[in-house]
Amino acid sequence: MTHKGTATFIAQRASAALLAPLVIWFLWGAVAHAGASYEEVRAWIAAPLNAGLMAVLILAGSLHMRIGLDEIIDDYIDSGARGVFKLLNLLASLGAAALGLWSLFVLSF
Amino acid sequence: MAASIVHRATGVALYSGTLLLAVWVFAASQGAAFFAPVGAFLSSPFGVLILSGYVWALLFHGLNGLRHLYWDTGRGLGAATVRQTSWGVFAASIFLAIVVVAAGLAARGQG
Repeated sequence: MTHKGTATFIAQRASAALLAPLVIWFLWGAVAHAGASYEEVRAWIAAPLNAGLMAVLILAGSLHMRIGLDEIIDDYIDSGARGVFKLLNLLASLGAAALGLWSLFVLSF
Repeated sequence: MAASIVHRATGVALYSGTLLLAVWVFAASQGAAFFAPVGAFLSSPFGVLILSGYVWALLFHGLNGLRHLYWDTGRGLGAATVRQTSWGVFAASIFLAIVVVAAGLAARGQG
């Protein structure tokens, strides 16, 4: 995996830079809709700009958490078992991204 | 020093929290009736505790992440500066988490 080190390093920092403003936006949206009705929240998510930002948040977030956990696995897991843990990490991250994007699609249409 | 391990711990907590968030969004996509029990759980004291923890983890990891990005430019790496910004990130994340949770609870009260 060493030959992919630089790309991974850059991807982790690029996703971090992207996530910083998106997380502020998401927290603001969550607070603004605390106590709102189901339909109000749905209408907010379904607005094109919000749905677009949410999609980027889901994609950047799942990439960022996959790379981050891979790094922790490299540091704490025995080299023999690393492959299994990294596969589980990939599946969980892809699963979260797929579930998030699918739900976003359903909520928006 | 502490900020480094807490960055990892909050990263792992956010990972699990985000998996739950994905399930939550999926529940929301299945309609209001399906979503109601999840919403009720999150409004309970235990749900608010979990959400507060998630908010703090998000703010700490985010602020400390900005510190990491600043370090990547080769700046802010002196021992004294590192100590000061570490304290700053802990203090700011706790303060902002209280503000966000309080604002959320206040908004919920009006709704």
